[in-house]
Amino acid sequence: MLGDHMWLTKNRTLILTLTVFSLLVGNACLPKPASQKGGGVTITVYGFSIMKESLEQAIYPAFAAKVKREHGFDVRFTSSFAGSETVTNQILQGVKAQVAILSIERDAQRLKDGGFVTSDWHQLPQKGIVNKTPFVILVRKGNPKGIHDLADLAKPGVKLIHPDPVSSGGAQWSILAIYGSELVKSEKQSGEPDRARALQLLQAVWHNVISTPGSGREARTQFESGYGDALITYELDALLMKQSNARADAEIIIPEATIFSEHPAVVVDRNVSAADKPVVDAFMQFLWSEDAQRAFVRFHFRSSISDALTQENKELATIKYPFTVDYFHGWDKAYPEVIEGVFRDQVQKGK
Amino acid sequence: MKIRAIRHVRGFDVARPISIGVMLGIMLPLVLLPLLSIFVYGTKKGLGTFWSALVAPEAIFALKLSMVTSFWATVFNVIFGLFAAYVLSRYDFWGRNAVIVTISLPTAIPTAVAGFALLLLWGPNALLGRLLNTQGVQLMFTPYAIILANIFVTFPLAFGVIKPVLDTMSRSMEEASATIGATRWQTFWHVTLPSLRGAIVGGALLTFARAVGEFGSTILVSGNLAERTQTAPLYIFAKFNEGQIEAANAIAIVLALLSFVIFSVLFFARDWLEFDSQDA
Repeated sequence: MLGDHMWLTKNRTLILTLTVFSLLVGNACLPKPASQKGGGVTITVYGFSIMKESLEQAIYPAFAAKVKREHGFDVRFTSSFAGSETVTNQILQGVKAQVAILSIERDAQRLKDGGFVTSDWHQLPQKGIVNKTPFVILVRKGNPKGIHDLADLAKPGVKLIHPDPVSSGGAQWSILAIYGSELVKSEKQSGEPDRARALQLLQAVWHNVISTPGSGREARTQFESGYGDALITYELDALLMKQSNARADAEIIIPEATIFSEHPAVVVDRNVSAADKPVVDAFMQFLWSEDAQRAFVRFHFRSSISDALTQENKELATIKYPFTVDYFHGWDKAYPEVIEGVFRDQVQKGK
Repeated sequence: MKIRAIRHVRGFDVARPISIGVMLGIMLPLVLLPLLSIFVYGTKKGLGTFWSALVAPEAIFALKLSMVTSFWATVFNVIFGLFAAYVLSRYDFWGRNAVIVTISLPTAIPTAVAGFALLLLWGPNALLGRLLNTQGVQLMFTPYAIILANIFVTFPLAFGVIKPVLDTMSRSMEEASATIGATRWQTFWHVTLPSLRGAIVGGALLTFARAVGEFGSTILVSGNLAERTQTAPLYIFAKFNEGQIEAANAIAIVLALLSFVIFSVLFFARDWLEFDSQDA
């Protein structure tokens, strides 16, 4: 038999490995975020993908500074960003989001139906809509495929990147933009919206889709890394992309008729304690303050409270025939009739 | 070995450079170049950018969270794997093979399904989740959920390394130990365990390496909150989606180097450890 002493010597490698391993892991305790040190209130925000820059770089710091100045305590934010439908599903599964900023009102409604939102966001300023932006087309530099409007995306040989309507709110806006633009234009021409023509266009455009990423931002990243000839996206994301990467191989095309997406912010009441409620409510009100709206405009959103503010950003395009989800009589009708009735049943299944 | 070597002394063995070349040629586009591109893109904007991406608080937190959650999953799976391997190789019982197959199942199940299964079990309206909820405890979307997911997806790894060694291990030492009056526990501690240390270290490193890289189940159960529940692979994915390729690649480089170290240790140390164990 070997004595314990020899056993130990024989196991120097094991001991060494374990030591390295333990050092690697440090104290093997779950790490504390830097933001949690010290007192104050932390607000948890879940947002759809393109909200990230404006919130993290402008809105959060501005609100934290305001609270510190006026009330003397610290407010911190922690957030996660993904496709609007993904964010909504996460909250329905139980993530502790206190505020959700979503791409489509339908998702706010789903949170309400799930019992997570009990307050009525229509009571908030602008019926809960924090900001808006039109849907535009990104093409390659020099526009080699000759795309000048949404209808041109149906040309044979155009490779289109389009986010997945299952997970992305932007994708649903984009579908409404394609379908609606044809309705609006046919209505201008003949006085009657031509549903058959709009369906035909949507089918032809969808035929050219080569990839369906999970969110608007993911779609942009794919386009940015060189895939596809065109991408339909939020105007602000197109501008942010050009701003962050001056050499980006992309040009923005403004459609003649396009939709303005309107983004609701809601309080997820179930996850807000009575102690946190005043701060969360103050944050919600702050979103519609002139300061916050101006910050959104700086990040290429359009203000939901004032067109004068929007005009401070000279890069924002003028749309000839703009429309909103109201053209389809709101999301209550647009989702079942267009996303499900037209897109899912006639475009996807009919393909 | 020697005889074969002599046969080739007379002439140049063409098969040698060709087969090595073919092997590397196949590896190049499939493994080597993709790895290289991580390093190229991670450092494209200079080492300064690379470094600041690395020391960003969110990145540090994500790396640390990955280490810690993987560590605890490894501790659990190695202890359980050792125990299960011992039970299953020493005792025969009805349903033994079914248990062996069940332990191995997580290898073949898509990790997203693993995450989804955990959500369904621990969710606010689910079987166990409702039970915990009444106590005011929530497991999902906390770091504990990440540990649970890691345990699930790496469950068979340590077991799979330890059991074959136990199966083929000579019983004579254990029997000798028993005849000189050692208790079962003494025999296990002084005889069986030392012979297994190579397998234990190997299984642990394999489990840890796999857990650190886990993505599919984590994205579902963690909530993906920066500086809360965002592990390194989730951080990489988030940064990639935001178009911050450099930040994503900086952390990817760290993970790649970590696996390199782990598998080097595995490769160089295991032979030695197992050789040691022969005369223990």
